[in-house]
Amino acid sequence: MTSDQGNGRVRSGRHVITAANLTVGYELHRERQRLTALRDVSLTVDRGEFVVLVGPSGCGKTTFINAISGLVSPWEGTIEVNGRPVTGPGPDRAMVFQDYALMPWRTVEQNIRLPFELQDLDISEEERDERIRRYIDLVDLGGFENSFPYELSGGMKQRVGIARALVSEPDILLADEPFAAVDAMTREAMQGELERFVSATGQTVVFITHSIDEAITLGDRVVVISYRPGQIKEIVDVDLPRPRFDYDVKTLPAYTELRERVWGLVKDEAFQTARGATP
Amino acid sequence: MSLTEQTDRKEAPSQDPNRIEHVDATAKDLWRRWGPWVITTLNLSTFFVLWEVVARLEIINRLFLPRATDMFIALWDGLANSAPPGAVISGSIRDHLLYSLGNLGVGVGIAIVIGVPFGLLMGANKYVDSILSPYVWAISSMPRIALVPLFILFLGFSRTMKITIIALSAVFPIMINAWAGVKTTDKSLLAAAKVFGASRWELYTKVVFPFTLPFIIAGIQQGIGRGLVGVIIAEIFGGSDGLGYLIQRAADTFNPALLYAVLFLLVVVSLSIVQYTRWLEGRLAPWRKLEGL
Repeated sequence: MTSDQGNGRVRSGRHVITAANLTVGYELHRERQRLTALRDVSLTVDRGEFVVLVGPSGCGKTTFINAISGLVSPWEGTIEVNGRPVTGPGPDRAMVFQDYALMPWRTVEQNIRLPFELQDLDISEEERDERIRRYIDLVDLGGFENSFPYELSGGMKQRVGIARALVSEPDILLADEPFAAVDAMTREAMQGELERFVSATGQTVVFITHSIDEAITLGDRVVVISYRPGQIKEIVDVDLPRPRFDYDVKTLPAYTELRERVWGLVKDEAFQTARGATP
Repeated sequence: MSLTEQTDRKEAPSQDPNRIEHVDATAKDLWRRWGPWVITTLNLSTFFVLWEVVARLEIINRLFLPRATDMFIALWDGLANSAPPGAVISGSIRDHLLYSLGNLGVGVGIAIVIGVPFGLLMGANKYVDSILSPYVWAISSMPRIALVPLFILFLGFSRTMKITIIALSAVFPIMINAWAGVKTTDKSLLAAAKVFGASRWELYTKVVFPFTLPFIIAGIQQGIGRGLVGVIIAEIFGGSDGLGYLIQRAADTFNPALLYAVLFLLVVVSLSIVQYTRWLEGRLAPWRKLEGL
């Protein structure tokens, strides 16, 4: 993925995330069973790349992101971040959650401060305050510092979630369907904002979505994952010029072609899931 | 990002100072604000007037139903004065009220000190949970009044006996609520804290405990209610102090005005306590009330 023409994003070619023959799943203690969510997945992600995972519900996308974040450990194979095996969560990775996962007893400002309280970062108090202010401005929440999450709309809550993930300036931003719970108009606006944030910070992004349009408008690569156990079905390169939200990318013929191609890959999986069939 | 402002800020207009306009209050607004108070006042006044009329007509024997005015006079006298020495009943309503509330405070205090940490421990650790839960469920599902004779046997008609009964009545709702709070802690909040680097201890201090706090307050609220029952039971059973004793004594000496005055006072006391803890919950955990809207 080092060749990069007309894409506008900086890529060093260095692998930030390397998954090799990764197999991972969940123990279902009560039933004395275990469920394989991902089987034998190998994927490398370059610095500054925006990778989108698409696939039917239950295909293991979230498990893959959890393996990168360190919330679950591999059963087989390896997962490395910056050349080191993942043993647990770390300040080089941050996550944006579908249900925002904001602490309801904390104000906007206190929620964004959370990573600083939990991580042992070598940053002065002034620098922390300055960064919190900067990221509140970046996500356009100036004036809402002392509001509580329940006082905010869904879109605003997710912008708090994004600021919280960006404030410690991690190398990798993980996003698990971050816009699934916000309304359609807000969603489009926020996709554009996310593109702006990460092109400003140069972060590597691994992003999960159910929406093919969201995948193509945001991603440098779209990774299609098949249904249970999840395996990589195909990787689609998206060579549409950036920033894509400055023009209507959806009117390009290349966009339509990409859309058809991804839909063709996802379609069978989606129907299989809808029928409840197990492969 | 003008698009963003147009779209998602409209969902939270009250937060945007530019969107708040002042509108003159209409009669409808006034009614919405004060209507419930007017209705409640009329409702209660009617109740007491009817009571007074029924009592004055003596449809019911005066020994069973005093006049409402007599009850209020007895209540006022009892709260304003201490009983003179050598009176039929030793101590005024005020004296007994202070005694009962003092015991309630100590008993509920003990229940909080024991119930909160044990509830949290049971929620956090499955071994502690499985060891303690048979006892907790057994004693909490048992009618506690059945234990009173046993406590009298052990502790006599002492203040310690009464406080023990109060604490035992109040401890289980507090413990069980704290346990439930820990058990129902939002999984995605825990995942978020882990991703951002929380240690095991920090998961408890920064997520589980704040999440559980409103549950604990609700538990204390229930605990006070149960504790109040414990107060009255303990005092009716034995001793010569407290509102429970006063109720018993008023009935024995055919003083219905005093009896009703104490009952009325109990209603006022327990309602005030419930209202206060609700207010406290609203202050400490405002998201609980508003998130459901």
